[in-house]
Amino acid sequence: MMSNELQQSPDRAMEVRGKEAVQREGMRPGWVFRPDVDIVEKPEEYVVTADLPGVGEEDLQVHLEKGVLTIEAQPSVRPEDRWQPLHLEYRIGGYRREFAMSEAVDAQGISARMRDGVLEIRLPKPKPHQPRRIAVTRG
Amino acid sequence: MASFLGRVEPRPEDPWTTFERLQREMQSLLAPAGWRELPLDASRVFPPTNLYDASESLVLMAELPGVRESDLDISVQGNQVVLRGQRSIQYPEGASAHRRERQVGAFHRTVELPFVVDADKVDAVYRHGVLILHVPKPREHQRRQVQVRAS
Repeated sequence: MMSNELQQSPDRAMEVRGKEAVQREGMRPGWVFRPDVDIVEKPEEYVVTADLPGVGEEDLQVHLEKGVLTIEAQPSVRPEDRWQPLHLEYRIGGYRREFAMSEAVDAQGISARMRDGVLEIRLPKPKPHQPRRIAVTRG
Repeated sequence: MASFLGRVEPRPEDPWTTFERLQREMQSLLAPAGWRELPLDASRVFPPTNLYDASESLVLMAELPGVRESDLDISVQGNQVVLRGQRSIQYPEGASAHRRERQVGAFHRTVELPFVVDADKVDAVYRHGVLILHVPKPREHQRRQVQVRAS
C-alpha cells in the first residue's frame, strides 16, 4: 500500500494498526487506545501486565476504586510535529483500560512498575486468616 | 513521486497474526466472570511501524513494548532496514492466566527506503519500548535552495 494513500485516509491507517481506539473525544483531545493486557493469578497475588509503548513511569496513572482498576497513560515518546507522515501503521494517543474485579485484593499492597513500555501491576490477595488453636478448657 | 515515499512491507509469513486472533477470540468466550470488560479485536503486524519525513532524514518509529534492547537486532542492506528480534513472556509456575492478549514470538520486518542507507550514519534510540531510527538522506534526496542570480 502506498504511503500517500494512507496519509489521505487516516481512518484506513487505523485499521492497519491493531491498537483499538476507545474514544476520540473526552477531557483531552486526541486518540485513546485500549492496551493489550495479560492477567495472571498466582496463589498469593494477581499480576496485570499491559503494553504501553512510549510510556514511562512519569506518564502513567493507576488507581483502584470501588473494585475498578483503572490504567491511564499518555506516551512521552512521540514524533516531532514538523515530521511529515509518509506511512502510518499506528497512531499516537493515550491509553485507558478499566477492569471490574470481583475478587478481593489488598489495596494497600498494590505495586506497579514500568519497563520497556510494559506496565506490571501486582495486586496481592488479602492475607488469609491464620489458623488458630482453640484451647479447650475442662469445665 | 512514489519512490520517494518509502514502503513498509509486512512479512506475509508472519505467523502471529491469524493464530493469535483465533486464540483471543477463544479466550474472550472463556473469560472468567471475575474480570469483565468489552471484548473486541483487530488484526495487526508486529511491530507496527511509522515512517516520517524530517526533511534532512527519514525517521522510522516502531512500537516494541516488552522487547529488551538486547533482543533487538537492526541491520541495513542496501536500501533496506531490517528489524529482527523477539519478545518472550515468562510466567511463574503455578500461575493461571485469566487473560492473555499480549503477543509473543519472533518478528522480522523489512522497511524499504527510496535510497541506499549509510549504516554508519543511522542513529537508533530505544526508549520506553519505542524504537526511533534516524536515517539521513543522501544529498540528492534533500531539498536544496536554488540561488537566483540577477541577470
